[in-house]
Amino acid sequence: MPKGNKVKAAVRPKLEQEGFFGRLSYFTCRAIANLRQNVFVSVVTVGTVALALLIASLFLLVYVNLEGMAEGWSDKVQVTAYFDREPEPLAVAALKGRVKAIAGTSKVVFVGQAEAEQRLRSRLKGQESLLEGVSPEVLPASLEISLDRRHRDTEAVAAYVKNLKQIQGITEVQYGEEWVKRFNSFMNLFRIMGALLGGFLTIAVLFIVSNTIKLTIYARKDELELLGLVGATRFFIKAPFLIEGVLQGAAGAVISLLALLGCYFAFLKNAGDFLGVNPASAGLSFLPATHLAGIVLGGVLLGFIGSATSLKRFINV
Amino acid sequence: MIQLHNVSMSYQPESTALTDINLKIPKGDFVFLTGQSGAGKSTLLKLIYADLLPTRGQVLIDGSNVTRLTRSQIPLLRRSIGVVFQDYKLLPNRTVLENVAITLEVLGWGKRDIGKKVYHILKRMGLEDKVNCTPLRLSGGEQQRVALARALVNDPKILVADEPTGNLDDENKEQILSIFKEANIRGTTVVVATHDRRVIENSHRKVIRLDKGRIVEVADAQG
Repeated sequence: MPKGNKVKAAVRPKLEQEGFFGRLSYFTCRAIANLRQNVFVSVVTVGTVALALLIASLFLLVYVNLEGMAEGWSDKVQVTAYFDREPEPLAVAALKGRVKAIAGTSKVVFVGQAEAEQRLRSRLKGQESLLEGVSPEVLPASLEISLDRRHRDTEAVAAYVKNLKQIQGITEVQYGEEWVKRFNSFMNLFRIMGALLGGFLTIAVLFIVSNTIKLTIYARKDELELLGLVGATRFFIKAPFLIEGVLQGAAGAVISLLALLGCYFAFLKNAGDFLGVNPASAGLSFLPATHLAGIVLGGVLLGFIGSATSLKRFINV
Repeated sequence: MIQLHNVSMSYQPESTALTDINLKIPKGDFVFLTGQSGAGKSTLLKLIYADLLPTRGQVLIDGSNVTRLTRSQIPLLRRSIGVVFQDYKLLPNRTVLENVAITLEVLGWGKRDIGKKVYHILKRMGLEDKVNCTPLRLSGGEQQRVALARALVNDPKILVADEPTGNLDDENKEQILSIFKEANIRGTTVVVATHDRRVIENSHRKVIRLDKGRIVEVADAQG
């Protein structure tokens, strides 16, 4: 404050807004009163936020389920290591231990020659004549290895196989190289498309919501102007509007999640009729709790940031 | 209380709204600003309540140099000035009580104190039975009195009014002027911009005449 240029504030009696909670309580009451006094505008804002977030969360639901399905397919990435001759039962445990010690191993199953023959027979059921004269010794013993999720891409599988081949007794390793390559290409494309679509959708949601909030604040620019002229500080003018934005954003997010839940159950109930597959049995799941919390937080941030940026334009205190 | 030294104000470089204004309004004075439309009355009032800053010169209000105030100090200055706007600036979706209460809410008053004070001033204005009405349901004179109540509710040191009797009939004009006089008797410095000759003639107060942004005449109070 410049020396000798102090502004004396008007004398005031008991203050209601002293302290953090006093101010918060006052501003929240003011925000709720404003929402009540501007019902139409508030409903439009909440509706826009809800609709925009519903579209975004529908996209997220589809993306999460598709990714879940794709992750399920990646379980098929399996490495089979063949032995030139069946190891002794005692040696099997040691071999399994060595394989498990390689980084990326999730599960190891030993398939002996007898079991391999039994599997072949069950696969060729009805055509047993083909197996006449085939003894278990013809089929090699093997280890069937599942890899953990982080080691299922092309490079990681190749590196894993290289390590595996160094174990004595393993003569051949098979892992469906082509399939792994194609699958990983598909997953990369899927993620890029998801990120692109998600990005565009986020920009669209931000644009729509911030413009709606801007219009609603524009509709009340007289109120902002008047508050400034009767001596309100910037914070005093902004705080109720920001709280309104947060409340509208949160309400919009909750409504969008309820609508999403409705869409989800309606789809589960009726999709069997037109898809020919029961979506429930296909493992279709709702969004996890972290995503739901993220959407509510997104709504709150949308309301807050939308209000804050719009207010900047209309407050001239 | 109000001092303007060599004040000039232009909205655009080629046209000036006020030129070289020198003015002193002592504490407790009642002054009329008059002149034709476009003479610079509203601009001068806006300089007093710091809605505008002069292009040149100094504006001193109650000892504070407005041109040197920081952005956060301007609200504090405005709290000691009651303003009656030409278009009233009442919020249409708030009740009369809420419209008047704004001034006290800004100061941080408690609800109970606001209720008492607002009711008291509305009673003084003869509007106690309109407390819960919205402004759109009031007549022009009543709206003007609500605007006056909002400006006076915190007993400001200065009251400025821009064409407060512009759209009112004679009876309402008298009522509004008597409220100004009453506020002045209580110690408030009053500055009223008007081009209504009859209001000025009947009031017998100091008159400052503006023409094309310059002070052309200062007539002291008569009678």
